[in-house]
Amino acid sequence: MSETVWRVWARRAALAPGAVYALIVLSLVFGVFTAQFLTLHNLTNVGMQGSVLIIVSLGMTLIILTEGIDLSLGPVLGLAGVVLALCVKQQMGLPLAILLAILAGAAFGALNGVLITRLGLPPFVVTLGSFGMAQGLALVLTQGSSIAGLGPAVQYFYDGRILGIQVPIVMTAITFLVVYIILYHTKFGTYVFAIGGNQEALSLAGVRTRLYKTGVYVLGGILASVAALVMTARMNGAHPTVGVGLEFDAIVSVILGGTSFERGRGWLGGTIIGALAVSVLRNGLNLIGLSTSWQVTAVGMVIILAIVVDGLRGI
Amino acid sequence: MANDVVLQLERISKQFPGVKALDDVNFDLRRGEVHMLVGENGAGKSTLIKILAGAHRQDTGRIVLNGQPADIHNPAQALGLGVSVIYQEFNLVPFISVAQNIFLGREPRHPKIPGLIDHARMNAESQALLESLSVDIDPRSMVHYLGVAQQQMVEVAKALSVNARIVVMDEPTSALTTREIEQLFAAIKRLTARGVSVIYISHRLEEVFQIGDRVTVLRDGKWITTMNVQDATMDVIIQAMVGRTIDRMFPRDFAIEKGEVALTVRNLHRHGVLQDINVTVRCGEIVGLAGLVGAGRTELARVIFGADPYDAGEVTIFGRTVRGSPAGCVAIGVGFLPEDRKREGLALILPLRENVVVASLRRLFPWGIIKRAKEHSVVTDFVKSLDIVTPSINRMTKFLSGGTQQKVVLAKWLCTQSRFLIFDEPTRGIDVGTKAEIHHLMNEMVKQGAAILMISSELPEVLNMSDRIYVMHKGRITKELSREEATPEAILRHAMGVTT
Amino acid sequence: MSQFWLSLLSRVVAIILLVVVLSLVSSGFLSVQNLINIVRQASLLFILSSGLTVVILTAGIDLSIVSVLALSACVAANFIQQGWIWGGSLIGLAIGAGCGLLNGLMVALVGLPPFIATYGMYWIAEGFAQVFMQGQIIFGFPGGFRVLGAGYVAGVPVPILVMVVVLVACFFVLQRTNFGRYVYVIGANREAARLSGINIRGNLLLVYSLSGLISAFAGLVYISRINAVESTIGEPLLLPAIAVVCIGGTSLFGGEGGIGGTLVGALILTLVTNGMNLLNVSPYWQWFVMGAIVVLSVAIDQLGSAKVGGA
Repeated sequence: MSETVWRVWARRAALAPGAVYALIVLSLVFGVFTAQFLTLHNLTNVGMQGSVLIIVSLGMTLIILTEGIDLSLGPVLGLAGVVLALCVKQQMGLPLAILLAILAGAAFGALNGVLITRLGLPPFVVTLGSFGMAQGLALVLTQGSSIAGLGPAVQYFYDGRILGIQVPIVMTAITFLVVYIILYHTKFGTYVFAIGGNQEALSLAGVRTRLYKTGVYVLGGILASVAALVMTARMNGAHPTVGVGLEFDAIVSVILGGTSFERGRGWLGGTIIGALAVSVLRNGLNLIGLSTSWQVTAVGMVIILAIVVDGLRGI
Repeated sequence: MANDVVLQLERISKQFPGVKALDDVNFDLRRGEVHMLVGENGAGKSTLIKILAGAHRQDTGRIVLNGQPADIHNPAQALGLGVSVIYQEFNLVPFISVAQNIFLGREPRHPKIPGLIDHARMNAESQALLESLSVDIDPRSMVHYLGVAQQQMVEVAKALSVNARIVVMDEPTSALTTREIEQLFAAIKRLTARGVSVIYISHRLEEVFQIGDRVTVLRDGKWITTMNVQDATMDVIIQAMVGRTIDRMFPRDFAIEKGEVALTVRNLHRHGVLQDINVTVRCGEIVGLAGLVGAGRTELARVIFGADPYDAGEVTIFGRTVRGSPAGCVAIGVGFLPEDRKREGLALILPLRENVVVASLRRLFPWGIIKRAKEHSVVTDFVKSLDIVTPSINRMTKFLSGGTQQKVVLAKWLCTQSRFLIFDEPTRGIDVGTKAEIHHLMNEMVKQGAAILMISSELPEVLNMSDRIYVMHKGRITKELSREEATPEAILRHAMGVTT
Repeated sequence: MSQFWLSLLSRVVAIILLVVVLSLVSSGFLSVQNLINIVRQASLLFILSSGLTVVILTAGIDLSIVSVLALSACVAANFIQQGWIWGGSLIGLAIGAGCGLLNGLMVALVGLPPFIATYGMYWIAEGFAQVFMQGQIIFGFPGGFRVLGAGYVAGVPVPILVMVVVLVACFFVLQRTNFGRYVYVIGANREAARLSGINIRGNLLLVYSLSGLISAFAGLVYISRINAVESTIGEPLLLPAIAVVCIGGTSLFGGEGGIGGTLVGALILTLVTNGMNLLNVSPYWQWFVMGAIVVLSVAIDQLGSAKVGGA
């Protein structure tokens, strides 16, 4: 019995060597070249800073599994952060603020989902449009400026600790657990794979595929809002354009992690490894003292390299 | 085996544009029997099954299930009525487990935690189902990694799981080894023991005698005969499948002088697909390539054209050894009309005009600049000479009829002035009138010195048009037949690998 | 083709409507100065999007255009400012074409999805631009160069003339040359194109190189107009560029659309932006409106769509 479980896991793991190699190679390189990289302090840093990317990437994984894509998750995160900050500033109380932020994310997800499933519009274009709309709303609500000074209650979500572990790491772990359970232990998750792998088979079985497909985008939006909480806490404020570029990093994390654009093939654990690889890359480049300009170039090259290697392996 | 009839298809007719797929067909199915459905390509088998499965609706006639008339609108409904179809391309989700596939849409709920799937129960029940079919597959394994035979078993288990009373199998053994076929038959016996009825479509006539209780032969959309297998013989069945007069077809001129050798294939080998192929085609002749679906004919054509690679052997066209790309082949005067004209032969969203000239641009406009007037006249000439029915040459190709689309593909290659053409099912799905026109054109082409290699699954066409016929079976050429030797029975025999 | 003319018509109607509404609502709209401003602004966006249009017609995408624009403009500016106008410009164009060629190699030879390949290039070019500039700004270009972006010929701003030239050139190439035909067929049905003897790899290499070249050219016009350059000038242009192509009716699935649509898309977007400015609408709403227009145009097209996308 345990042999077959191992086999299933091994198969799953075999899907993600791109990210795994990247993570290992990068960690080794940085570990050798800088003394600070492999310290607990630094690694915790990586975890903390990477938590935002990981949470968003988890949502992106499910979306890509359904052969879709969501370019709006970055600005949606920014918008959710803005909503959160505004509510806090209006003395609405943190729980309500968080709820409203999540609703904002869910709303955009629902918009994306409906346009994609009901009107049959390509996800790339739809989410490009909602990218603009979310970005616009965030800017309008803040008139382009940041909202600062949100107080210790919000900051807790970055600085605080639960049972000695930093809150963002705990939140990431819990989010991963929740999404994992959804993907592998609920019918929602089964249907996610089915929509990407063989949507025909699913509708044949009498399942309302449109509903579940929309749900995937809603989940993506909700997770972006959760990530916004961490991001806002980290910066102790909300800035409307903070999320820009995040969705691309998320897509890269997902692809590196072994999820492919087609056929409902993927691995949630791989996404975490991919996101960690990207975070490690940025962290390491910082430690080396590479100027931010070179960092940007390096990130681009590493991404391409990792994906080319992946492609050559014939995944 | 009880005698009650579980299914009756009464006087089913179905017309598609230009083609009458089914004409007043009657078919009945008894409880617990394996009823074989045979016939050539285009005989109507798939259409009949698709109507039963709810993918099409019949024009006339009715379906009676267990004594009750049934109006089947869609596949999900058919499933609900107990009809389960296992197509050749399975309907499975690749990256989830066997158990998840079997229970897709009906996942058992976790007894204690709401919202979760009861994996344990799902796996256990799947295990039981698979064991009842004597199949050893771990229900937790991912379907993508299973072999074809195993995936098929998952489909059978799925059918069992939804309590299907009628299971239709469409060419289930085309990709299986002998041992796997035995396992499939054992599984089918278990199905029928439970009272499930099986409709089994196959090209392999020996299977009729291995597993069938009764056999029905369709031909040209009509019901020909139904008989008990124990009363039937191979000859009788073959005769029923092909028996027709073929003389009312296009009169081909066989007195054309043969010219240079256009194509030589020597010892061609493509791992797992083609073995030891030797073919010659000369200018002035039409060489037919016959065989069943899956025999490797299209694969051979694609390799010759450079669309797919090969592992060993030699392909020589007009004296030049080729191993390359379609672009290279087109440059030396080779054309290829693919089987799937919509997916591979045409850009449907482009106008007819553009599809006609697309392969000839370098020849027509060597400076790279398109002269509209010339394009217009060239296309209009083809529209006239091929009698292409269209309101304008700018009509989007998508809106043309199937026959017309095929003519556009033909025009495309005529425009290139290719001297060696490969036709893959040139008249499939095309009405009789256009068929004759295309045959006439082919005749004219070889008269003017072209060489044609024609793949066709329609025996009359192969017999009527070919100077010589190569018959393929499982990736090999089993026989080369001259015109005198070519009879329907001979072709079918070699196509099925029957060596009696 | 008729499908495309129909969708084009709907866009032209939209433009007419916009013009009418805006002229009614705002007194300053119909002034010659304002109209010229609009067309000039649209021209810059149009030039950038024209290369992208060709890429999208092949069912691809080029996300790197804005950072290739920035990189080539920065390097070119370095030389131009010192007086080597032609030399600097050529270097800039070469850089653009080179980046484009790299994109093409990744897409056509390695087989990377265009999204990923050009996204990687986006960062690489952006990074090099930042390294090159070290956070500085170059401003003040010689008059000879400034003609390109800020000059007038017979009362007409040069960018508008350039736009017309690019429009005519692209139209000619796409509609009247073999290459243009190949672009459409590759986008419409790549496998059918391959089986018709079209050299897919070669043509794609050319397409992406062209996109890079045009991005660099757009960069030259742009910096000539604003008389300055820094490494991030391209950033705010990506969404508008893609939006313009989508609004213009060119389908992301390839094979449908054309340069005329992109022109119309540029005009519509600029009209809307200009209108919002005149009406004193907060510039932040512009993002929102841009996104909404993209979705709207694609939705409208879907109602009469030829090439079916999936839900």
